[in-house]
Amino acid sequence: MRIAFAGNPNSGKTTMYNALTGRSEKVGNWGGVTVGSKEYQLKKEFAGNQEVIAVDLPGAYSMSPFTPEEGITSEYVRTANPDAIVNIVDATNLSRSLFFTTQLLELGIPVVVALNKSDINEKEGTEIDIEKLSAKLNCPVFKTISVNDKNNGLKEMISKAISLAGTIQKPPYLQADINLHDKDAVDAEDRKRYAFVNEIVKDVEKRKVLSAETNKQDKIDAVLLNPVAGILVFAVVMWFVFWVSQAWLGPLVADWLVGYIEAFQGWVAGQLESSPAILSALLADGIVGGVGAVVGFLPLVMVMYFLIALLEDCGYMARVSAVMDPIFKRVGLSGKSVIPVVIGTGCGIPAIMACRTIRDERERRTTSMLTTFIPCGAKIPVIALFAGAFFAGASWVSTLSYFFGLVLIFLGALLIKGITGYKYRKSFFIMELPKWKVPSLKFAFKSMMERARAYIIKAATIILVCNTLVQIMQTFDWHFNVVEEGAESTSILASIATPFAVLLIPLGFGVWQLAAAAITGFIAKENVVGTLAVVYGLTAFIDVDELEMVGGANTVAVTMGLTSVTALAYLFFNLYTPPCFAAIGAMNSEMKSKGWLWGAIGLQLGTGYTVAFLIYQIGTLVTEGHLGQGFLPGLIAEALMVLAVIMIGRKVRAHFDEQYELHKNIKGTEGAAA
Amino acid sequence: MNFATLIAVLALAVILFLAVRYIYREKKKGTTCIGCPYAGSCQKYKEGITCQTDISGSKAE
Repeated sequence: MRIAFAGNPNSGKTTMYNALTGRSEKVGNWGGVTVGSKEYQLKKEFAGNQEVIAVDLPGAYSMSPFTPEEGITSEYVRTANPDAIVNIVDATNLSRSLFFTTQLLELGIPVVVALNKSDINEKEGTEIDIEKLSAKLNCPVFKTISVNDKNNGLKEMISKAISLAGTIQKPPYLQADINLHDKDAVDAEDRKRYAFVNEIVKDVEKRKVLSAETNKQDKIDAVLLNPVAGILVFAVVMWFVFWVSQAWLGPLVADWLVGYIEAFQGWVAGQLESSPAILSALLADGIVGGVGAVVGFLPLVMVMYFLIALLEDCGYMARVSAVMDPIFKRVGLSGKSVIPVVIGTGCGIPAIMACRTIRDERERRTTSMLTTFIPCGAKIPVIALFAGAFFAGASWVSTLSYFFGLVLIFLGALLIKGITGYKYRKSFFIMELPKWKVPSLKFAFKSMMERARAYIIKAATIILVCNTLVQIMQTFDWHFNVVEEGAESTSILASIATPFAVLLIPLGFGVWQLAAAAITGFIAKENVVGTLAVVYGLTAFIDVDELEMVGGANTVAVTMGLTSVTALAYLFFNLYTPPCFAAIGAMNSEMKSKGWLWGAIGLQLGTGYTVAFLIYQIGTLVTEGHLGQGFLPGLIAEALMVLAVIMIGRKVRAHFDEQYELHKNIKGTEGAAA
Repeated sequence: MNFATLIAVLALAVILFLAVRYIYREKKKGTTCIGCPYAGSCQKYKEGITCQTDISGSKAE
């Protein structure tokens, strides 16, 4: 048996689905978090001995899809014939929600209405007459509170849905037989349906707080949605998040954790003193050291995820989308592009998937191409390592990394707008602002722990295998002889990485160790840290005592032999070049165009290279009074990139013109204008 | 070969075997992003289709 969960965006479908199935799918206090359907078996406490599959569908306002993810819902309930539908209705916004409900009731499939978020209604003094509503809709209605573990109304609601399976739903309202291609007829029919819904709401709902009155929430929104104040507040909030996670609390906990990792590494190395050196290198340096270097940054990542989850849950991130919309529109993106960007602070893959909420194809492709410029969680260890080693742990490095990522998104969007010959058109940004609420610590903790688990799994599998391979390739030459001290450049790793290192000379870090770390970063970005730990034999990347040394002249900085300028160039190169292969795969799926995919990879490579080149060359000029190494070859590479952009732009626009030429197939039109 | 070396070799073999096996199994299931907290929520994940599945349910090119 299958039960579909459908309702408006941000009505709490996924929260209910998680409560009923025991899953922990991503939820958020804004619409558009779910972009694909998900299925899982209901817990036995709800379904008894029956096998009942719950299908969580993306939010939709009506059966006529406006965005691709709304299309999934409409397509599913129309064609998949679920045995019952649970329509999750936001009890705090009944009039808006029931439009979709009345459409679902017309399908003939039994519907059970779940009045979710009823707890908020109780707090606000809003009363809904359940029995009356049930009678008017011709279907059972239950009050539910998905966030509560007990007395949440879920069991009764599911039992009813199961018992109704196989019956036929009688609709309270039937759409007139109209021509669905006639816009005016459809509009008129929609108005009739709204009138029907409003009549029901008038009868069943009593509100203490009228939506037309200005309340405390509206006053807060007036400030946060102000185009100037809103952006300033956003900057301060994000700075605070980075400061707490990467300069204060995160490193404090990490320092403690690294102490244990180091002690363990020392113990392993001590036990292997009389064993072959390769074994000690593989186990103590490669696995414990390399993986430990990545795991050492876990507290920073966890603190950041915790704070971002709090911001999402209280409703702030939805406000950020709204305040950024005018800016994003100016560069040819949508306000909805903000959602992938925010999700991208966690992981690039769901961020790219979240681009499905953007209706316009060009905006959608552009956003999925640019969203990974925002550093994801995997890049936090890289940022923290360089901030700690070269900039005395300054929080401005993280803040700059994220805000510079935003700047690159804007510039990239402008560039794509120029290449694709985009013309101004009116686009709409419709997003419901959720009510402000006190963020749930339980939700934030759960979200943080899920991320931490994922991070550890990645470290214990991909990072571990990669570090072992890197260690083997560093230990042996191509004849499988152990590389002797002082002859490290003859190792397999060095010989593979050296050709790439040559290309990096104009960027200031043309050494094989750094090239090798950047290459392994394409498998998973945490690998940059793991590989650096292996190739330089370092693990103590985090040391609060050392970080306090002004100037950052600590062991890591000394061993790597980079200046602050080259360190920043290397950091930004790793942040803004293409993401990991998995994220590139996600881009491929979302873009559905090889041309766009290769364009995206080219743009990201070019951006990372250009940013690093400019930082190194200008930085060296400012700090040392002369240009850096390889300026001329670098300049030639940049000129070639510019040429490539111009040529691609011309090619695209030529095709564009051909497409819109109206009279090309009519003979004798040449010179007609004359 | 002393006792510590033997233990180390065994530990190394077990750790690598478990890590590679995990990666292999996940890849076989269709997970392209191991460790991704969203891997399990991808559409039709259980049927072995990855999170990079087209919205219509068919595998994207």
